[in-house]
Amino acid sequence: MRHVYVKTPGGRTTIHYKPRNPKTGRCPVTGEVLKGMPRVSANKRKNMPKTKKRPQRPFGGVLSSKAMRKLVKEEARALSQLE
Amino acid sequence: MQVWVWRSENMFEVGRICVKIAGRDARKKCVVVEEIDNKFVFIDGETRRRKCNIAHLEPLNITVEIPSGADNETVVKALKQEGIVCDMKKESKKQPQPRPKKEKIKREKVVKEKKVATEKKEAIKK
Repeated sequence: MRHVYVKTPGGRTTIHYKPRNPKTGRCPVTGEVLKGMPRVSANKRKNMPKTKKRPQRPFGGVLSSKAMRKLVKEEARALSQLE
Repeated sequence: MQVWVWRSENMFEVGRICVKIAGRDARKKCVVVEEIDNKFVFIDGETRRRKCNIAHLEPLNITVEIPSGADNETVVKALKQEGIVCDMKKESKKQPQPRPKKEKIKREKVVKEKKVATEKKEAIKK
């Protein structure tokens, strides 16, 4: 719980307790923090539209853009080597 | 260590089939329709019909015969022969209209005369 100091109408300062937000997670290949994903609890994530929860590209929300580009490049090069 | 390779112009000629690497069209195949620059190229195919940076494309061994600046129909037909099936794009009838500008209304600030406070202060002083 994190402490939030709130001033009451009576003039006293009291503590309100709020839960902390979860982290988004990291890319398994590069290790950098994943972008385009909100740091929000699962309860709030349930009611959000799908497009606001992850980037709209292949492996969005799973791999970073750098890692995805490498993967797609290697796939394409394998295609051209087959022929 | 990063090695930057300058792609020669001959690679991305008109008719070259490429795979898009970046963006939401990644992993989709496209054809170079027109050369704009030494950096930019106009593409069409499974991807959206738009200009693209050649750093975001990976060329394949295949080339296709199309005229420069070909429209979507010819591109779809040419790709079918190579085994790449993609839908024809519909022409958008809507044209972007300019937004009307909002006029800002300037309101004069009303300064209230503080009579009550001054009267109280004078009473306390006495």
